[in-house]
Amino acid sequence: MTGRRRLGLVAAAATLLASAPLATIFDSWTWLLQVLLTVVMIAGAAVLTRTLRFPSWAQALGMVAALVVTLTWIFPSGHELLVPTPATLAHFGELIQQAGNDTRSYAVPVPDRDGLLFIAVLGIGVVAIVVDLLTAVFRRPALSGLPMLAIYSIPVAIYLDSVPVTPFVVGACGYLWLLVADNVDRVRRFGRRFTGDGRDVDVWEPSPLAAAGRRLGVAGVLVAVLLPLVVPTVTGGLLSQLTQSGSGVGSGLGKGGNGKINLFASLSGQLAQNTTVNLLKVTTTEKDPFYLRFGVADQLTAEGFGNQPPAGNTLDAGSLPDPRRESSTAGSTFQQYHAEIEVTDALRQSLAPLYANPVGIRDLTGNWAYDPNQQVLYSNRTTTSKQKYSVDYLRPQYTPAELRTAPELDRDDPIRRAFTVVPDNDYVDRQVARITQGVATDYDKVRAIYDSFSRKYGFSYSQQTQSTGNFSEIEAFLKNKVGYCQQYAAAMAWMVRAAGIPARVAFGFTRGTMEDGSTYVITNRNAHAWTEVYLKGFGWVPFDATPSAGVAGAARSDWAPDVDRTAEPSAAPTTAPLPGSSASAAAGQNQRPDRANDGGAAATTVGAGTDQDNWTGLLIFGVIATLIALLLVPALRRVLLRRQRHTATAGVAEPSEPGPAGAVTGLMVTGETARAREDAHAAWDELIDTMVDYQITVDPTETPRLTAQRLIRETVLSAEPAAAVELLGTAEERARYAREPMRGVELTSALRQVRGGLSHSATVRARVRAVLFPPSILLGWRLALSEAGTRTMEAAGRLRENLARFNPRRLLTRTR
Amino acid sequence: MTTPTWGEPTGPLTSAEFRAAAQAIMANIEQVIEGKSATVRLALAVLLAEGHLLIEDVPGVGKTKLAKALARSIDCSVRRIQFTPDLLPSDVTGVSVYNQETRDFEFKPGAVFANLVVGDEINRASPKTQSALLECMEERQVTVDGTTYELQAPFMVVATQNPIEMEGTYPLPEAQRDRFTARIAMGYPDPRAELAMLSGHGDHDPLNDLHAVADAALVRRLIETARAVHAADAVQQYAIALVTATREAPEIRLGASPRSTLQLLRTAKAVAALEGRDYVLPDDLQALAVPVLAHRLIPTPDAQLNRRTTDTIVSEIVHRLPIPHATRNPYDTRDGRAPYESRGR
Repeated sequence: MTGRRRLGLVAAAATLLASAPLATIFDSWTWLLQVLLTVVMIAGAAVLTRTLRFPSWAQALGMVAALVVTLTWIFPSGHELLVPTPATLAHFGELIQQAGNDTRSYAVPVPDRDGLLFIAVLGIGVVAIVVDLLTAVFRRPALSGLPMLAIYSIPVAIYLDSVPVTPFVVGACGYLWLLVADNVDRVRRFGRRFTGDGRDVDVWEPSPLAAAGRRLGVAGVLVAVLLPLVVPTVTGGLLSQLTQSGSGVGSGLGKGGNGKINLFASLSGQLAQNTTVNLLKVTTTEKDPFYLRFGVADQLTAEGFGNQPPAGNTLDAGSLPDPRRESSTAGSTFQQYHAEIEVTDALRQSLAPLYANPVGIRDLTGNWAYDPNQQVLYSNRTTTSKQKYSVDYLRPQYTPAELRTAPELDRDDPIRRAFTVVPDNDYVDRQVARITQGVATDYDKVRAIYDSFSRKYGFSYSQQTQSTGNFSEIEAFLKNKVGYCQQYAAAMAWMVRAAGIPARVAFGFTRGTMEDGSTYVITNRNAHAWTEVYLKGFGWVPFDATPSAGVAGAARSDWAPDVDRTAEPSAAPTTAPLPGSSASAAAGQNQRPDRANDGGAAATTVGAGTDQDNWTGLLIFGVIATLIALLLVPALRRVLLRRQRHTATAGVAEPSEPGPAGAVTGLMVTGETARAREDAHAAWDELIDTMVDYQITVDPTETPRLTAQRLIRETVLSAEPAAAVELLGTAEERARYAREPMRGVELTSALRQVRGGLSHSATVRARVRAVLFPPSILLGWRLALSEAGTRTMEAAGRLRENLARFNPRRLLTRTR
Repeated sequence: MTTPTWGEPTGPLTSAEFRAAAQAIMANIEQVIEGKSATVRLALAVLLAEGHLLIEDVPGVGKTKLAKALARSIDCSVRRIQFTPDLLPSDVTGVSVYNQETRDFEFKPGAVFANLVVGDEINRASPKTQSALLECMEERQVTVDGTTYELQAPFMVVATQNPIEMEGTYPLPEAQRDRFTARIAMGYPDPRAELAMLSGHGDHDPLNDLHAVADAALVRRLIETARAVHAADAVQQYAIALVTATREAPEIRLGASPRSTLQLLRTAKAVAALEGRDYVLPDDLQALAVPVLAHRLIPTPDAQLNRRTTDTIVSEIVHRLPIPHATRNPYDTRDGRAPYESRGR
């Protein structure tokens, strides 16, 4: 078997090893079988095409064909016979679409969904082809680490928590195997192996000479594995995933996020975390603030609740609505408060936590936009990490009696049409019908549904259930009656919608732990979801159906009292945690039922967020400028050097010219002679550098005269530059070897002419290179660097030798 | 050594005078030897460097003609020795004979007592005879029967020889080879020059028409002028580096002598003067390295087996050796040490 074919097989095996991270994503091992089949097919195609000595492109084509055929086998549409047909491709398209939906609706580990498996097999197949091509065709196996790393990045992107080490180790082993196989092949093609002890050894036998290399490799892997374990939480915030294209499983396989964020997944991830991380610190003038909110899920489809990307204007004049002047919220009265929000670097997301109804936002760095419908502050580029900003906001105040006056929305009202969409589900419909039977007003209907989530009806809090806001899970929750905030919020929103009242799910943080007087510290334990219901004349009114015992820092309001405390309109403290609640409730927070609320949409013009844009712009500009400056450093250095030499050579013409040649020689001041000599040397150095810039060979065994002649001959210089080159050569020659150097010649202009001549005869590429990345400078640096390296090595060698010779006994004998 | 006649103008010539005189001599010689100006110039340079010239080539390319043309162009005493296997040392140096009238031994000067000695086919004489030239060539004196006789200045031996592969030749001893400043080869003339030779030499020998264009005194002044040419420190170091390189070259058993360093620089000065410069260039040394150094070297048996001539070895050294720099060339990784030297053991 030739080395190339063997390498292809090793590449396939390495790809299989590198696909180990998928084990953390899928629930069962079906994927492994399918991936195995695919990789084997691709490797077989590669071996076959190589045996038949196909050209490289045909090998690639063969592997792609093998991948397509295998995919057809594993995921048939039912209309084809082994060979893909248009129907198959359409089926593939459906599968990809299905995978996209699945990524939104399933949390890891995902079950065997056809779409996800298809994406996984397709991705691994593509990686297998790329790795094979890189390794066996292009002989660059080191590059194949990139696609392998891409596979590993999938669990990294999905898991909010840490990712297990084992898959990485397995993948790394595969990668190293690939590198070793390639190296062995290279050595083998070189010829007979030399092992140091004069023996003829087999190719696969380890060489004692390579021991250092093996040790280095092992040390490298160990460091790569151990270092992240030692360094404390590099990524820090678990919410950081929110900002990274979070559409789930498929992202690493090239599906790409469309900017959508799975709020449900991130919330569950946050609550499931073992440690407590401080995320925010809020200081507000409000006495008992309601929840901070940052996101909204307002689309209910067959797959459950989902959020859509927010849309709104950037924070500038006119972008924040004032609810006091908005007709939709005319029924409520408002009180204005001021809050300072300080985010730690652990909370890294593109949605900024806010109190509802902001009328002024200040000091937020970056480019942020406000969606007045979702009431969400978002950014496409910046994150909330380490932000410190202040918010002026309005807190609406209403009583149940007031809310009861809210009329029913028209059936044609756009809000009702948009936010009452529900999938067909008999069970839910029946439940809602039963609960709201005989209830007149919207508010009372909502209250009836709200109250139904109490312990009285058998609901209890538990974080143990996984939820993604999924449709079937909501139904399951309504039946099992065990869940946590997500399910409560999603289920209530659904039921309210089923009753014909607009509702949506809001995401944010509960009040947190009070630190002193007015400051609250909010951790990942305070992540929360609740329901918002639209009542005409009041806007979006929050209802938190989750049992307050299960939520740290929960708050209640007059219109939505704690249902487990029954009857009492003004809620009493809940102290005893419910059975099954895993989160520790901060007792002090539960005591205050809050009149806090979420109002409707409103508008006021507040000039906030003016400088942030400039700052970002400056920063980007600065970074780009720095990069360009760094790139230009060699060119700059070259220009400076040239200028320096030009100023040296320009002075040549100035000293008084000796009249008759030879007559004045004796009288010349030696200083001037030395000066003229230096000038000629500077001009010559510049010429040599220019030659290097234009990639003309510089031969240290050539005399200036020969160099000049060769330069003229090789670059076909026209008359003027040629004369200039000869002049420079003569000047340098005389400066070096004659008694008297040349004087009174214009070397600077000669240099300029030579440069012009060289640039004229050079190709465009050489010209650009000479200007932007002058090889003379780069070469000089490289030589200096290698020389420094050599010197260091030599010093280290000497040190080692001395250490080896060092014998403590000698010291003893000397002192004796 | 030099004994100028009283009243003879002395002192170095100006550049123009020097050129005029040198051009006259070269033009004169080139009337006879056509299309060989480089060889003629080198021959003249050797004369001006107070050296001796060895012309080595196959028979019939004009070795002797060059030697005679040079001799005729200068109005000075010229002697010619035809080296034959039975030539004796005394034929060269001279002999003391008993004078019946004075009843005393009288010294009869040999052929070397002249300004220009043309030694034809020098390697056909036995080493014994050739050895007679050793003293006069280096020390410019002849010692016979305990008496030392000074030779006139200028003194130059122009010897011709066939390559030693030719029949009936002896190799010159190393000591004698070292005394020759330069060995030059004539080479075949190009077709045009050969045609000109045919038409020119057809009816008469142009050598007979040759007139002297310089005399011994002028030659002495020319020599003095050439000596005054400036050789910068860098150039001297380069000469030393070249010679040292021949001693260190692995293919050479015997390197060039210190005498050769001196003669190399002297010839380079003469060449520089002939080109109208008052300073020596490394280019001069590079051009002279093969003629001045190659004939002195003895290659190792390995190099001989590989058919490596000393000419190629020396020219390789010239191409390998970096020239001296006033400022250090930043791209020259070769000075100091070879780049591969530092790569560990």
